[in-house]
Amino acid sequence: MALPVAYWVVLILFGMGLYCILTERNLIKIAVGLNIMEAGLLLFLVRMAYSPGDRAPLLGTGVIRMADPIPHALTLTAIVIAASTTALLLSFIIQIHRHYGTVDIDEIRSKMK
Amino acid sequence: MKLHRIGVAILIVILSVTLAGALAELPSVEQRTSTSQLTRRVIDGGLQDTGALNLVSAVLFDYRAFDTLGEATVIFAAVAGVVMLFYQAPLHPSSIGLSMLAKRSLDSIGPFVFLAGMYVVLYGHISPGGGFQGGVILATLTILISIVYGLETERRLLDPTFKTTLESSAALLFMVIAFGGILTGEYFLSNLSAGFPRGEAGSLLSAGSLAPLNAAIGLKVGAGLALIFYSMVKREPE
Repeated sequence: MALPVAYWVVLILFGMGLYCILTERNLIKIAVGLNIMEAGLLLFLVRMAYSPGDRAPLLGTGVIRMADPIPHALTLTAIVIAASTTALLLSFIIQIHRHYGTVDIDEIRSKMK
Repeated sequence: MKLHRIGVAILIVILSVTLAGALAELPSVEQRTSTSQLTRRVIDGGLQDTGALNLVSAVLFDYRAFDTLGEATVIFAAVAGVVMLFYQAPLHPSSIGLSMLAKRSLDSIGPFVFLAGMYVVLYGHISPGGGFQGGVILATLTILISIVYGLETERRLLDPTFKTTLESSAALLFMVIAFGGILTGEYFLSNLSAGFPRGEAGSLLSAGSLAPLNAAIGLKVGAGLALIFYSMVKREPE
């Protein structure tokens, strides 16, 4: 298939992140997996707006071919949301660790009973 | 346990192949950029519509400013959640700072980090950058101070109450600018049509409400991220 290389990287990152979320038992590693998935998604958005040879969407620089600015603005939004959710997620994990003394979901489950 | 992992891996490979098929179906970028009405409108008419040279900022703070307001609300909610989760009485310093060498180094680079942050915020409508990126740089400075000088010093320099006030007032400033559109008979978050001065394209005071909105978002993100970091690293007395 003639997919751009960046799309393959997107798929690999997305798959790696999903695998991490589904198989890891450590909450911190699950948070990292979520971030890897998000990185893949952001790369997809950026690559979607860009074709080789495009320049940054800045006027006044004499550039004729420029990347599509709309997905770039959406990517900015997505990065900020991702950072916020990660901060909240890590805060919950810190509180869970203070309460149960572990970040392993199996141990937490056995302690909850 | 092992079997579970293999099953997940197989499922993910199937998912990836399906997604690859879907990606191959997407129209190519050249094709889309040249035919999409929306993209052409932003690239060809962006300067006319907003007065901003940086089209990403134009989309973010003019065409889709309402989205940005929602995004700012998400940060606000995240900051509120983190602060609430760590709401505990007095602070117990969790670090006393690094060596004298690190402190003197921060003394000399600190002002420049601040300058870079403010530059990125204030020139967001002209050059790459904007409130979100600059705000993160400003927050980095507070993180550097808490690591190098210790959390106690950072708290004395920038009181958490001050950060909360700064974040809330930046959010209010955004709303005040947004309501400026309604007061002049235009729409919520209207920019040039609401009478904000267009200025000369490329100068600092141009593009109407874009620059003040950028500044508001910059302060809000900077204060918000600084608060998140502060809340997460402070340790309540054992």
